[in-house]
Parts: sequence; C-alpha cells; structure tokens
Amino acid sequence: MHRVVYSLIIINKAGGLVYNRDFNNALNKVSVNDLLVLAGTFHGVHAITKSLTPSSLGIPSSQRTGIEVLESSHFRLTSFQTFTGTKFLLFTEPHQPNVDVIIRKVYELYADYVTKNPFYQLEMPIRCEAFDRHLLTYMRAR
Amino acid sequence: MVVYSFYVFDRHAECIYKKRWAPRPGSSSKAPQANGVLDVQSPFKGLSAEDDAKLVFGTIFSLRNMVRKLGGPDDNFISYRTGHYKLHYYETPTSLKFVMVTDTKTNNLRIVLHQIYVSLYVEYVIKNPLSPVEHPGGIGVNCELFELGVEQFVTASLQN
Repeated sequence: MHRVVYSLIIINKAGGLVYNRDFNNALNKVSVNDLLVLAGTFHGVHAITKSLTPSSLGIPSSQRTGIEVLESSHFRLTSFQTFTGTKFLLFTEPHQPNVDVIIRKVYELYADYVTKNPFYQLEMPIRCEAFDRHLLTYMRAR
Repeated sequence: MVVYSFYVFDRHAECIYKKRWAPRPGSSSKAPQANGVLDVQSPFKGLSAEDDAKLVFGTIFSLRNMVRKLGGPDDNFISYRTGHYKLHYYETPTSLKFVMVTDTKTNNLRIVLHQIYVSLYVEYVIKNPLSPVEHPGGIGVNCELFELGVEQFVTASLQN
C-alpha cells in the first residue's frame, strides 16, 4: 500500500524539537541537528506569519493564527497548534485528504500516551514506547 | 476572491515593487477597485511599510530553504495558508521572487504570478531600454505601464 503520510514532527512551546518520526522515505534524510534548526525556524516563521495578517481584516491579535498549511510541489505540511502551544507538523503527499482528522488522532494519541505517562516531563523529548507503537499502528492501519 | 498585497523581490533580497489593495468599504465581495485605492497605512498592524516587506521576505526565504532541505533541490515552495490569509509564491530561475497575499479561499496562483512575470515584468521592465539592470530602491519597476498592467491583471483575472 502506498502510504501518504511522510513524517511527523512535534515542536514544544519554546520551539524545541521533541519528537520526529518518518513513516516512509519520500522526504530527504535530514540529520537531527538540521531537524532542530528546522523546528526552531518553523517556530519563528509561525510567529511572523501570525503578525503578517492584513490589519484591514480587523482581526484582533489574540484571534490571529499562524501558518496552517504549507504547499510545495513535493509535499504538503499541515501544522496544528494546541492551546498550550505545542505544534504538530504532519508532512503528507500534496493531495492527501482529511489531514486534519489524522492530526487530531495524533494529538489524541499524544494526550493519551505521552502526557498521561507519569514519567514524561513536559517540554522534554518524547521517549514513550507506547506512543511510538500506537502511532505506527494507526499510520499502518490507514 | 480578494487580493491584499503584491510584492516583487530581486535577487539581492530587496523589495523592488510593492502594492496593496484596500478592501472596498461596505462591499461584501471586497474586490479590489479598478483604480486600486492604495492603502496609505501599512496593512500589517504595528509595522511600518518597509518592515512588512522585510518580514514577508524573511518568511518566504526561510520557508523556501526549509522546503529545499526536505524535498530536495528541485522542490518548489508554492504557498502557505493561515486561518486568515494565504500567501502565494513564485520564483523565477533568476531568483526574482513574486509574492501575492490573498484571502484563504483562493486557489493556486502560481500560474497567475508566472503570467505577471512573463507578460508584464518582462515586457515592461526588462524590455524597457531605459530601465537599469538592477533595481535598487525599485527604480525601473515603478514604471507606469507595469503599474497599470498589474492593476488590470489583478482586477481582470481575479475578480471572477
């Protein structure tokens, strides 16, 4: 089966990379150092895109959102920010439908297996075996 | 669809052309007017007119590099969307960058930006014998025909 979700990145509220997983090899192999830089860059760009909202729309700054979907010719990046500032970035095939459903499910798995893990310290890199396992099962089942 | 602004950046990261459209007051469609009322104030709150061009460039530059790193050197950054606006990007082989900010419901504008480059920029700026090769501060790009062309192009091709 052709899997269309390429990879998942989780960024904490300070812009640090806490989790990354590739589901196939469609994207270039990027070293962990570069991924950390990438996560930090995205965090900054997210904040800038929020402030770039045209003021003629009259949207108060509290309601503005940063980048939600980025399209390139090879992939699509969907970003979801939780209320606590954690960002989930999902790289998919450009025409993959229902990415928001997938990302919600990933958030659900994160809530269940990462934040409810008594040994997990918030904002720290995620090393939870149960999360890995369930994430992989979910991605395979799709 | 609504167009909020349009920018051209040269290969030295300088903004050489910038245009904004104010929404028509009291109109639900908010289409840009034919004679394009230029917004005197910056459309981005709390920023001066020069700052927003710099922020736009910083954003597209970072995103373009990110896309290249992940998708390989032949991958192109096309657009991004937030909850309130969408930014379209087109880069020529000479590193000239065309950026258009529209509402979120707009489809891909890559072709439109390419058309602006081919039928307006090349015709009125590159082929103008009086225009300099580089455009520091936007000299040569701010010619009347190009300005008029962009105006008509946006009004005609985007109002449907």
